[in-house]
Amino acid sequence: MTFAEVVAAIGGKMVVLTETADRKVRHVVGSDLMSDVLLVDEDDMMLLTSLASDQVLRTAQIVGATGVVIVNDKPVPDSMADVARELGLSLATSNLSKYEGCVAVYKALNGITT
Amino acid sequence: MEERPFAEKVPRSADLNEQPLVILELIQRLKVRDVMTTELLVAARHTTLREVQDIMKQIKISGVPVAENGRLYGLISIDDIIRALEGGYIDEPCQKHMSTKLVVLEDDMPLSFAISYFDRYRYGRFPVLDRNQRLVGIICQRDINRTLLVELTHELRRMEELTGGSSAPQDDYAGLYFFREFPVSKFDFENAGKAATTIKQLLQERSFPARLIRRVAVAAYELEMNMCVHSLGGVLTCQVSNGEVEIVARDTGPGIADVEWACRDGSSTANDWIRSLGFGAGLGLPNVKRVADHFEIRSQEGEGTRVRAVLVLASENKPKEESQGSGGG
Ligand SMILES: Nc1ncnc2c1ncn2[C@@H]1O[C@H](COP(=O)(O)OP(=O)(O)OP(=O)(O)O)[C@@H](O)[C@H]1O
Ligand SMILES: [Mg+2]
Repeated sequence: MTFAEVVAAIGGKMVVLTETADRKVRHVVGSDLMSDVLLVDEDDMMLLTSLASDQVLRTAQIVGATGVVIVNDKPVPDSMADVARELGLSLATSNLSKYEGCVAVYKALNGITT
Repeated sequence: MEERPFAEKVPRSADLNEQPLVILELIQRLKVRDVMTTELLVAARHTTLREVQDIMKQIKISGVPVAENGRLYGLISIDDIIRALEGGYIDEPCQKHMSTKLVVLEDDMPLSFAISYFDRYRYGRFPVLDRNQRLVGIICQRDINRTLLVELTHELRRMEELTGGSSAPQDDYAGLYFFREFPVSKFDFENAGKAATTIKQLLQERSFPARLIRRVAVAAYELEMNMCVHSLGGVLTCQVSNGEVEIVARDTGPGIADVEWACRDGSSTANDWIRSLGFGAGLGLPNVKRVADHFEIRSQEGEGTRVRAVLVLASENKPKEESQGSGGG
C-alpha cells in the first residue's frame, strides 16, 4: 500500500502531497521523540506523531520516510507545510490518537477490516 | 549544459574529472590563516623609509606593514620607497608616507575570498587581521600559489594511490574530496537539521550508497541537534576524503560533566520544554555510535564538546546479503 492509500484508509487528510506518497509503506513508527525515529533502521517507513514541528519533517527526511501523519487532529502550521514541500515530503493529518492511528495503519496494511 | 557542435567525447579518467572540483573544494576549505605568512617583519611608525627599504631587500618582499603591538597603522609598498628616493625623503619616518587606506582580510575567511580580493583590488598583498583586529599575517598571491600547489600535490598523490590498482566501479567516489562547514546556533529550531539535510543531498548528488547516506545523515542530525539543544552553539563539518566520511561537531560549551554517562542509552539532561519539541530521549549519542565506524567524543565541563564520527565507504561496498549472518560487530 502506498502512503497515499494508507492515509485514505485511516480516514486521514492529505495536507501536502508529493511524490513520496506513491511509495509503498513497509514500516510504521509512532513516536514523539526524534531519536527514537532515527533508531529505527527500516526503509520506507511512515511516521505517526503528535508533534507538529519542522524537526519532525527533517527527521523523516533523514530516514527517507514515505510520509508523516500528524495525529490528534493537530493543526499544521503553514510554515510546516512549506518545509514539507521544500523537502518533497508528503504530510497528512488524522483525528485519531497516535495509538489508534498505529492500529488503523496496521489493519490497513494487513487487510483487516472491522 | 550547452553542447558545442563539433565537440568530441574525449574519454577521461575519474581523477582528471575531479580536478577542478578539488581546487574549488580546497579554496573553500582552506582559510586565509592556512596560507598567509605569519613570520612578519613590521616597521614602527617612527621607522625611517630607508630602514624599511633594508627590510625589503633582506627578505625580498615588496610590502611592509607598519604596526605596533599588533595594531596595524599602515603599509609601505615598494612604490612608496621609489617615490621617497626620487623625492629625497627616504630618511623620513614611514608614518608620514605610508598608505593608511588599507584593504585587509580576516584570518578565518575562506581562501576563495582572498582570491576574489586579488581580482577585485590591484594590490599585491593584504595584511591579515584576526577577530580582535590584531595583525597576524600578510598574504600575497605567491603564498596562495605555493599552498595550492602543495595541497594539490597531496591530493593527486592520494588519488593516485586510491585509483592506482583497481578501476572497479565502487572506486568512483573513493578519490572524491569535499568539505563543508555549517554553523549551528543555540535553540535555532527553525534552521536546526538543515546541515544534516544538506549533507544528505550532497552525498546523494554524488551517488554514494544509500545505506551509507542514511547512516551519515543520522549521525549529522543527532550531532547538529545536540549542539542546538544542549550547547551554546558550534560548527558541524562534513569531510569526504580517503574513502571516508567524517562528521565533526564542535561547540563552545558548556561541555559535558560525565561523558560516559551521556553516551549511555537513555541518559539525558533535557527539560520538559526540550522534550515537548521531540528531543531528550537520551538516544542521540548512542545513535551516532551505532551508525559510525569510529566514534570519538571529547568534552569537559565549562569547555566545549567535540564529537567525531567517521563512516567508512568500503564498509558499504560489501554485498548486502551479508546482513543475515553477520558475525560480530
Ligand atoms: N554538544 C553538547 N553539549 C553539551 N551537552 C551535551 C552535548 N551533547 C550531548 N550532551 C549531553 O549529553 C546528553 C545525552 O545526549 P544524547 O544526544 O544522547 O541525548 P539527548 O540529546 O538528551 O536526547 P536525544 O538525542 O535522544 O533527543 C544530553 O542530554 C546532554 O546532557
Ligand atoms: Mg541528542
